[in-house]
Amino acid sequence: MTEVTTGSGAAIQVEGLRYSYGDLEAVKGIDFEVQPGQILGFLGPNGAGKSTTIKMLTGQLTPKAGVARVLGIDVATDNPELQARIGVCFEEKNLYINMSARENLEFFASLYGIKDADAEGVLRRVGLADRAKDRVKTFSKGMRQRMMISRAFINKPDVLFLDEPTDGLDPVTSAAIRRTIREEAERGAAVLLTTHDMFEADELSDRVAFINEGEIVALDSAENLKLKYGTRSVKVRLRDGDGVREEILPLDGDGSSSRLAELAASPDLMTIHTEEATLEQIFIQLTGRGLEG
Amino acid sequence: MSRTVSRPAIIGALLKKEFKAYSRDTVYLLLTLLVLIAVPIVFRALPDSVDETITLAVSPPVSVLVEEGKDALRDLGATEEQLAELDEADLTGEQEGLLLLEFEDEEEMTGVIEGTVEAWQTEGGEFVFRDKEADEDKPDDAERVNVDIGIAFPAGFISDVATGEDDITVTVYSDAGVPEEIKGAMRSFVREAAYQLAGKELPVDLPAEESIVLGQDRSGDQVTLQEKTRPLLLFMILLMETFSMASLVSTEVLQRTVTAVLVTPAKVGDFLAAKTIFGTALSLSQALIMLALIGGMTAENWSLLLVVLLMGAIMFTGVAMFVGSAGKDFMGQLFYALLFTIPLLIPTFSIMFPGSVAPWVRIIPTYPIIDVLVQSTVYGATWSDSWGSLAYAAVWLVVLYGAGLIALKRKVESL
Repeated sequence: MTEVTTGSGAAIQVEGLRYSYGDLEAVKGIDFEVQPGQILGFLGPNGAGKSTTIKMLTGQLTPKAGVARVLGIDVATDNPELQARIGVCFEEKNLYINMSARENLEFFASLYGIKDADAEGVLRRVGLADRAKDRVKTFSKGMRQRMMISRAFINKPDVLFLDEPTDGLDPVTSAAIRRTIREEAERGAAVLLTTHDMFEADELSDRVAFINEGEIVALDSAENLKLKYGTRSVKVRLRDGDGVREEILPLDGDGSSSRLAELAASPDLMTIHTEEATLEQIFIQLTGRGLEG
Repeated sequence: MSRTVSRPAIIGALLKKEFKAYSRDTVYLLLTLLVLIAVPIVFRALPDSVDETITLAVSPPVSVLVEEGKDALRDLGATEEQLAELDEADLTGEQEGLLLLEFEDEEEMTGVIEGTVEAWQTEGGEFVFRDKEADEDKPDDAERVNVDIGIAFPAGFISDVATGEDDITVTVYSDAGVPEEIKGAMRSFVREAAYQLAGKELPVDLPAEESIVLGQDRSGDQVTLQEKTRPLLLFMILLMETFSMASLVSTEVLQRTVTAVLVTPAKVGDFLAAKTIFGTALSLSQALIMLALIGGMTAENWSLLLVVLLMGAIMFTGVAMFVGSAGKDFMGQLFYALLFTIPLLIPTFSIMFPGSVAPWVRIIPTYPIIDVLVQSTVYGATWSDSWGSLAYAAVWLVVLYGAGLIALKRKVESL
């Protein structure tokens, strides 16, 4: 992996980044950093500014204000070396469907100046090695998404930008893609992942940024966010005649411990579960809106 | 690790991808192959010579008219010497390029002109007539003769003319497709024949005539349909590739694969350069293949043809870029393709119908391209004859290619 040249050692460093489409301000001065080997999950509903942020960081859009550096290079400058060291997985499946999986990867490898690209190896990682010679137009949605991921990896990038990489996929394919993303992070790549799937953000991300209406409303690890904004509690289920009775006890409240001990000793006790807030509940708490929207 | 890749290497990779994408587009590939195979076959089937003979039908036969006239004139007291002059009178103006068909019956003659009766000429020069409605067999070893115009002389025409009768009517029959100019010429021919028979001089002093053909004298060597069609086919090939190139461009834009390309070290300029090179090479190579198959390139015109075809290929690549970036879907692309290509086709009519081009047609960007193609392949024009048209074509090339380039650049940058 290439050593990052920013002072903070961050692979991605963003300060006061802004972008607007005409009068509509899509990104309103956001700040964040992603370290090498770290996965930052951008969690927010559709239209929150996630894709616009990725477009600015990958050179597709020029920021209206603020500074963004990827691998120490200002994204507003036209620097081919930056493009050579990043990998991008788009939300839309923009593959050459009349070309085979291998041809797609070899073509993109050639744009990076990679002569003997290990297309087979990359396809093997995403479980498509046996379809290497097949044209992409014969692929299912899940296979195309795996192709998108494999294309983003073909140049062994130092920074990965993944825009909704598992959107609309079945659980098995999603799990396979998440595993591959994690492997890339373990290799040392910094990963910026946008999603509106709270489970994906929770499972994959070292840190999560809640983005809403172009602003980051919270940024921390999922665990810290839950601790900070969630309520610790336990749910106790008890037999109640022919039915079942539930009781939720806040762990931080006065008298909860004695009540919990009392219920634990009860002959009617069925189960005790710890309860913690989900990222979506925290998001709703912070923004007043859900993630699907 | 610093990774750098040269611009030529990126453009080379993009070109390789363009070729793959083109070769996988079965519709356009098959269409191209079909055109490259079918067009030369059709071209070879076109007439490679022009029949300059004018066929004229007359009724009754000239010999009948003359003998009848002699008898009447003899009764009127004409001497044998005067009658011999009648034999020498050139009633039909018989000369090279005129084929005379004589009919005993005026009705049969009108049937031939009308097309209900076919006229065939045998190898021995005899004429055979076949009634189409009676489903008669076609004669063997005979060539079909088209008769579009005929003259029916009344009985006693010569004697009546010679004696100065006033009420003589000669009927000129013509097919509906015969131009008014030819009908007029036939009427003049009848009048002149009548004056000659009456022994009168025309009431005017005819000026001395000198016929000078400007440019290449094609008398006896008229422009054949093959020669007329050759530049048209070359132009059509260039135009056809506009559609396939526009399809490649719009597919890239609509499927947003260009966005994926532009987050790699490839720049918009590389993308545009690859499209330009591929589009131009595609059109030019096919035009050159067609030229090789249908002929037309000579030691004198090869360089001129190469340059004008190259200019046409670049011009149409610009149009393809514009069309490809404008269409939002297949139908949209088709709409824009037709919107641009139909006006650009208009100058091709100048090939099929020379002399009928309205002055405004000369303003159309493709006119100078067509003009040079026609002049060089048909009339043997050289560089010195073509500078004006080439300069005019160059101006349009810059405008159309520039417009295509800007439109596509703006489009990919806005994705």
